Amino acid sequence: MVPFHIRNTVDRLDRPSSYAASKYKKRKRDDGETDANRAPSPTLSEKLSDATTLYVGNLSFYTTEEQIYTLFSLISPPRRVVMGLDRYQKTPCGFCFVEFYTHDDALQCLKYIGGTKLDERIIRTDLDEGFIEGRQYGRGKSGGQVRDEYRDEFDPGRGGYGKAVKEGYGEEYR
Amino acid sequence: MADVDRYEPRGDRGHRGGYGGKKRRLREDDDSYDRRDRPQRRRYEEPTGTRLRKQLLAIAESPLRNAEDEALNIAKITAENWDDQYIKDTFCEISILLVLEQPFKIPFVAACVLHANTQNSEITTEILARAGAKAQGFLETGGWKEVKLLLRFFACLHSLFEDAGVFPILDELFNRAVDLQTASSEDTLGLELVKIILFTIPYIMATSTSESEQQKAAQLLNKTDIVASTPHMLDALVDPYINNEEEENRPMGFQTILTLLQKQLQTEAANEWKLACIPRPYSAVVTSGSDENGDAPTPAKHPFPSITVPTTVKLGPKALFPEIYFSLYADQDIESVPPTSNIAASLIRDTLVDTMNHLDFNRNAVAKFLIEMDCYWAPDTFVKRATPFDKLRAVPENKSTWKPEDLAVDAVFSQLLQLPTPEHKLVYYHSVITESCKIAPAAIAPSLGRAIRFLFRNVDAMDMELFYRFMEWFAHHLSNFEFRWKWTEWLDELDQSDLNPKKAFIIGALDIEIRLSFAKRIRETLPVQYAPLIPEGRDKDTPDFKYADDSTPYAEEGREILALLKKKASEDEIQTVMDKISAKAAEHNVQDVLVPCTDAYMTSVCYIGAKSISHVLSCIDRCKERLLAIGPQSEPARRQIISSVVDYWRDQPGVAVNIVDKLLNYTIITPVSVIEWALTDRLDRGRALARSQTYELVATTMAKVMNRVRQIVD
Repeated sequence: MVPFHIRNTVDRLDRPSSYAASKYKKRKRDDGETDANRAPSPTLSEKLSDATTLYVGNLSFYTTEEQIYTLFSLISPPRRVVMGLDRYQKTPCGFCFVEFYTHDDALQCLKYIGGTKLDERIIRTDLDEGFIEGRQYGRGKSGGQVRDEYRDEFDPGRGGYGKAVKEGYGEEYR
Repeated sequence: MADVDRYEPRGDRGHRGGYGGKKRRLREDDDSYDRRDRPQRRRYEEPTGTRLRKQLLAIAESPLRNAEDEALNIAKITAENWDDQYIKDTFCEISILLVLEQPFKIPFVAACVLHANTQNSEITTEILARAGAKAQGFLETGGWKEVKLLLRFFACLHSLFEDAGVFPILDELFNRAVDLQTASSEDTLGLELVKIILFTIPYIMATSTSESEQQKAAQLLNKTDIVASTPHMLDALVDPYINNEEEENRPMGFQTILTLLQKQLQTEAANEWKLACIPRPYSAVVTSGSDENGDAPTPAKHPFPSITVPTTVKLGPKALFPEIYFSLYADQDIESVPPTSNIAASLIRDTLVDTMNHLDFNRNAVAKFLIEMDCYWAPDTFVKRATPFDKLRAVPENKSTWKPEDLAVDAVFSQLLQLPTPEHKLVYYHSVITESCKIAPAAIAPSLGRAIRFLFRNVDAMDMELFYRFMEWFAHHLSNFEFRWKWTEWLDELDQSDLNPKKAFIIGALDIEIRLSFAKRIRETLPVQYAPLIPEGRDKDTPDFKYADDSTPYAEEGREILALLKKKASEDEIQTVMDKISAKAAEHNVQDVLVPCTDAYMTSVCYIGAKSISHVLSCIDRCKERLLAIGPQSEPARRQIISSVVDYWRDQPGVAVNIVDKLLNYTIITPVSVIEWALTDRLDRGRALARSQTYELVATTMAKVMNRVRQIVD
């Protein structure tokens, strides 16, 4: 039988989210075919165990860097903030990366800031493996984030209806 | 990235159906770590281990279930399955973890052990052994919080011990305390040890009040009196209110937790140790006057685990300071919280603070426990949840008028406004209040309103750092709730000078609100009378470039520098214009010609980078050679860098603070130059002290320096 183990009496908020975990699982599955000469990929917990970067999502398109700085400075002044941009318009598309100086600062954000409001929207924070040039662009077909492609709720802070829904692609995919 | 190419086609078809659903389930998905252990299919009955774990973790949480019945049930499951190692571990590990993480459940966990003891005394032996080992470990590393809680656990089990139980350890701790206190007048560890002793005694006396125990308690109290009642030299450091006034005029009484506790215990001793608020979910087991070796069946007795207090006690991971009992509501006309003369004040506060500080990794759980605190104390300790403050007058004479919401808000503020610092980052306590307001708005909001009014009323007597903590909390809190506040209440303050603390508070709070939002939005949330506090200049994204106006000195040269910087001209071209400025300045007998040069240069940098922090950072990076060269050449010119930034951003003080912070990182300016700039150059006969930007510049610079020092030392 598996020995009993419990770390805390309640869940912890300072862990990678299920998105990060599933992102990793998907890559692991894909990597299964590659050759044995490659070094083993780091596990999720290894990769994120010293992460100092945070992904921040559900921002409004109009949220400014200054607002982000002000909120996250409550933990500690960030080293830098990289705004997420629409791939074609090069305008903010509702997410950003906030990079701190220490891993502990990033964890504290998950505990104390994630799930509270910025610019009057509840924001989502998650540990990130680190910013690389190119990751600041949305990966949706229209240039924004994927989640805005097929969204059918009206969100005035994120361009109204989802892009695909607006242009009528939505029907086939419902 | 190779992944992207392979991901998209599959993702479109396969995942999108799940994607939308996943978004909604995101929160619940976070315990996917648990799911692996739990069975996938729903079975008719959960495995025993899981049942035990769930019941034990949730003990006393529901007001609908009787806590003692829950304890009985848990004891039964454990006793019936004691030969299963998994059950053993589940029971013992969770019990001890609850003691350390959810101290308000200690009496209930103890009840489980007491009930289990009647069925199988091996259970008690095992858990005493494990808890004893833990306590020994913490005694050796100086984990005093944990020692306190484990001793409390033993105290609740006192009827089980065949010997003197916890008392010998308490005596030992006292001996160490005396040694420490005699060795140094600055000692605070000795106070901490005495605090542990005093916090353990009530839980012993609530369990059993035999003659010998009463005697021992009285002896201890006699001994601790002198330590607990003597003022400590560091007391003034931790006083939240500047002590200009007579004792009666202070907004809040000044008493340390230790002094209060000593007095409260002496009161209880004189009243036969009623200790009304402590829950006793073990009535079926404990017989009063447990001196007698009764007839069978009596619960088995056990020796106290062998724990030795080290001869030299360590300070532990954190520096210790005297703690005052901070309360926004105590000792006022209406008794919405226990008065400071009542031991419930100390016991409940101690438990709330420990819970908050130990469970910082889940603020939602903390908020829930705060709101539901009435489950964990004796019945009728509190008035019904969410009772309006006005209705308290109508409560009958002999019934409690203590509002659990007031106690919760009091506890959080006692940490937020603790000097020198609380245990966690300030924003953690912000988030606890925010979550509490989210889950029980009708209950918490009125208490919070009264807290804000109390603090605002006395804002002029507050310690300066606490003033800013309150201001920052207030603005951040409102930003989570659509900036709603009864601003009409404070209209009178608007007529005051900007130097008046209350007016300065309002100005500073609005400034932070604007930084978290934008000027137009904040104006919408305010009555019209507040409009002058948010001038039009704040709407501008890009402040005007002063050299565009010809009446500004060096206007032409300033514009030239801007043009050169924009087209990324060579250093020589820029130097030519700088020389022109120097020459002009010399003609006008300017003392240090580098100052106006620096002004033109830095103002241009600010203007070019006005769009965002990233923009100005990239411009500073391009210009850092010249900027770095300025400081060594001339200190006034270095300070001019700060002036240029602050003046350019005069309508957005927060941006200037951010940029100054970045300039410090580059070492283009030095910490000393910032302090001297703020407190000498720009003091403006003291007026600068009323501006929150001044405080922020000094505070963030000092914090940066202290961090660096700490990093070097560690």
